[in-house]
Amino acid sequence: MTQDEVFSKVVSILTKYSKADIAESDIKMETSILDDLKVNSARLVDIVLDFEDMFDIEVEDEDADKVRTVADCVELIMSKQ
Amino acid sequence: MNLNLRTKLALKIQHMIGWITFPAWGGVLIALMRFVARYRIPQLREIRRQYKEIKKSTTQPIVICSNHLTKIDSIIINWSFASVWSYMRSFKYFSWNLPERANFYRNIVLRVLCYLGSCIPVDRGGDREAVKKSLDKLAWLLKKGHTITIFPEGTRSRTGRINPEGVAYGVGRLVRAVENCKVVCVYLRSHSQDTYSGIPKRGSEFYLTMEAVEPKTEHSGLRATRDIAFQIIEKLKEMEQEYFDRLGQGSMENSYA
Repeated sequence: MTQDEVFSKVVSILTKYSKADIAESDIKMETSILDDLKVNSARLVDIVLDFEDMFDIEVEDEDADKVRTVADCVELIMSKQ
Repeated sequence: MNLNLRTKLALKIQHMIGWITFPAWGGVLIALMRFVARYRIPQLREIRRQYKEIKKSTTQPIVICSNHLTKIDSIIINWSFASVWSYMRSFKYFSWNLPERANFYRNIVLRVLCYLGSCIPVDRGGDREAVKKSLDKLAWLLKKGHTITIFPEGTRSRTGRINPEGVAYGVGRLVRAVENCKVVCVYLRSHSQDTYSGIPKRGSEFYLTMEAVEPKTEHSGLRATRDIAFQIIEKLKEMEQEYFDRLGQGSMENSYA
């Protein structure tokens, strides 16, 4: 899967949990999940579990802790594939 | 879990200062609750007996998981579970907890009280690495035999009922980090508490039930963390249902066995 494909799927998952009034097209690699998308940190676990299901990967707690931006998500998924 | 020596030392010092000063602030706190706020826990002796039995039945560390309706729930729980004298004998049983920094660290008086009262501030909904540092401290304390109170809902329930939607998974992570730790689920509620509040109303009478559980999971990683947190929340929901069933039957006075 290419980086662009991963990015697009990551964005579709993140928008489910976002409480910010932000269009999918405005979400960039540098977008912060907590600050820009207003996702509660407790929901980050659900997001990462959605990544696991969608990309058939396994993520450890420590890796999930490092996720802050969309780019972090994409890199994490790419590194596990 | 990776705590540096400085952090471990700081926690030990906090515990020691809390213990040394406990006869002063602990006594005042309980006097304020009993005689100024006129709070009552009708089944106090029975609750203490039950908790003592749970402590006796295990050599493992104890995590108290409670529902959350007021800012002083952890204080009421500590008051319910043992006397001032018991805590003076073994301050490790006075449970540590994780108050929201924004609520409790606004002024110097609250800061000092939180420090003495075994609190580790946390920014809820904030950076996961910062939350992880706080959880690491709790895990280390548990391994050293201390007791922890944690609110799996993460925040005071806005509806007044257990809110599974808002569950924070930190509790699952903590239980996974400390092998064989005992989880004591607690349902605490004043009869006059309709929904969440800062502090309970004056004259409140508290109902408290507890149940020891050992959550197990077949999952691994983050899924295990979530599974354990859900099991605890489910248990609290059961206990809440029991409260409302008893309330409906008007059998509250004899319902603590």
